[in-house]
Amino acid sequence: MSNSHLLEVKDLNKSFGGIQAVNISNLTFENNVLTSIIGPNGAGKTTFFDLISKFQSFDGGEILFEGKDISNSQPYKIARMGMVRTFQLTKVFDRMSVLENLMFAGSSVRNDSFFYSLFKFGSQKDNEKELERKSYEVMEMLNLDNMAKSYARELSGGQKKLLELGRAIVKNPKVLLLDEPLAGVNPKLAEQILEIISNLIEEGKTVLMVEHNIEAVMKVSERVVVMAEGEVIADGAPNDIRADQKVIDAYLGSGNE
Amino acid sequence: MKVTSRGVITILVTTLSLGAVYVLNPGSATRLMFSLLTFAGIYGLAAIGLNVHFGWTGLLNFGHAAFMGMGAYVTLLLIPHAAGREGEVTTTGLPLILAIFIGIASASLLGLLLGLPAIRLRGDYLAIVTIAAAEIFRLLVRDLEAITGGVYGIISYSDALQKYRPKIIDSLLVDMDISVNQTWVGVIAWLCIFAVLLLLKRLNSSPWGRALRAVREDEDAVRALGKNSVWLKLQSFMLGAGIGGLSGILLAFNYGSLQVSTFVPILTFYIWAIMILGGVGSLSGPIFGAIVFWVIISETDKIAEIIFENANGQQLAGVRFALVGLLIMFLMIYRPSGLLGKKEELLLDVK
Repeated sequence: MSNSHLLEVKDLNKSFGGIQAVNISNLTFENNVLTSIIGPNGAGKTTFFDLISKFQSFDGGEILFEGKDISNSQPYKIARMGMVRTFQLTKVFDRMSVLENLMFAGSSVRNDSFFYSLFKFGSQKDNEKELERKSYEVMEMLNLDNMAKSYARELSGGQKKLLELGRAIVKNPKVLLLDEPLAGVNPKLAEQILEIISNLIEEGKTVLMVEHNIEAVMKVSERVVVMAEGEVIADGAPNDIRADQKVIDAYLGSGNE
Repeated sequence: MKVTSRGVITILVTTLSLGAVYVLNPGSATRLMFSLLTFAGIYGLAAIGLNVHFGWTGLLNFGHAAFMGMGAYVTLLLIPHAAGREGEVTTTGLPLILAIFIGIASASLLGLLLGLPAIRLRGDYLAIVTIAAAEIFRLLVRDLEAITGGVYGIISYSDALQKYRPKIIDSLLVDMDISVNQTWVGVIAWLCIFAVLLLLKRLNSSPWGRALRAVREDEDAVRALGKNSVWLKLQSFMLGAGIGGLSGILLAFNYGSLQVSTFVPILTFYIWAIMILGGVGSLSGPIFGAIVFWVIISETDKIAEIIFENANGQQLAGVRFALVGLLIMFLMIYRPSGLLGKKEELLLDVK
């Protein structure tokens, strides 16, 4: 039964010094769906991402990814299983080139290994060529190809968001957890990012995204989960959410755009 | 190789420093030069190892002296030597080359053992733990007199290396007041630097080197991309420690007798100064850093003598430290990227 869900969260709770950050009794995510998680500041959205990617440990509960319990796993193992996250505050490798950022993301564990690198076993050269080709493909998609050899820290804030998204794409996971991919990004670029996300869904990937841009969320999401004070207060199709009185009170406000 | 202004300045500074040795020491300059270049080779090698830790991976290792000591002690105890107060002689031992490899491996292993509990610490915390661990190592070696010779040290081991000394060194240096033993160690040190640099150049441009740099930049992002950052850091720690171990072995052969007091924290700080001087993150920077550093160390006495006419030895030593301190301060203010470091990749952010 649990095998039918891609990601399943049961009785998950986490508190910081008595303040409840996340308390979710049951939440499941299905394959190939774009789900947005919205809610007021401090609702526990990013903490929820931290918990399911195990960047933070939790007080109680269970997380199943493709039916496997990942509650006691480690961040890098979860990423290897196919669930890759980005960060609210972008974490690019500043003093590495844009190309290196992407190639590192796509490189396999074996390709990265010490002895493989020391003896340069024949296939490593081919691997690297293939990685470079893939990275350029992604850079073209993100309009970063003219910055390939620049240090990542020379990018603008929006471009760093793109690079982080690009890294996740090169990594080619099943699930992408995107933490505010549109924050601090100009409208035109935001449009572009949304298109890339939609394409990911078309390619069969699953995307969970935390985002404050309601207009965008309502437009592209198939499902919207609303959190407030650590709990899920609403969960459904965008139109239902828009009409939900609890959501209007807690987050959207009576103006409701 | 592309000629850069950094490269030109580096060559110029190095040449000028060596020139200064001739100006300040009429008569004894050549002898001094051989000794200086040997020390520079050995310390430079240690700085290259430290650069793998800090320059590549961003690990603040302040216990490099312990890795050097580990290499030295393990190797010497495996070859014929005399140790302790009574100078108890051990005439049997492993072939030198095997002992050296075991010494290097032991230093790496110490890196792993120290790294396992400590490497999850970040920044300054790792620095504190490594400096403490190095002191524990030194005190253990001092107190385990039955094995290590304690404060009495180890002697009579140089033959194991010197018996391989090519005749050409003796015939070239005949009638010159230059130590052939030291010259042979110096030649080996510079050959080791050459070999280690070739190895590191290969690794630096490889996916493994790229992964270490990524760890240096942001560990969270590394983990989020499915890479085991702890294991990468441990590997870096082991490689740098091994290079440090090799440097320690050469240092022991250069001295001819091994004292535990060689591996005090100041040794680690000298290595740090060399790395910063040469340029953090630069592959060959430590070599030039080491030469310039040793010129400064050996010539500050002369400069101090010029400034203060009737100073005694102790006072001169104090002036030396003051001048070295000044040098590091000026470097941090005016050229924090060192001789060969890239400004864009500057790792020591000085505000």
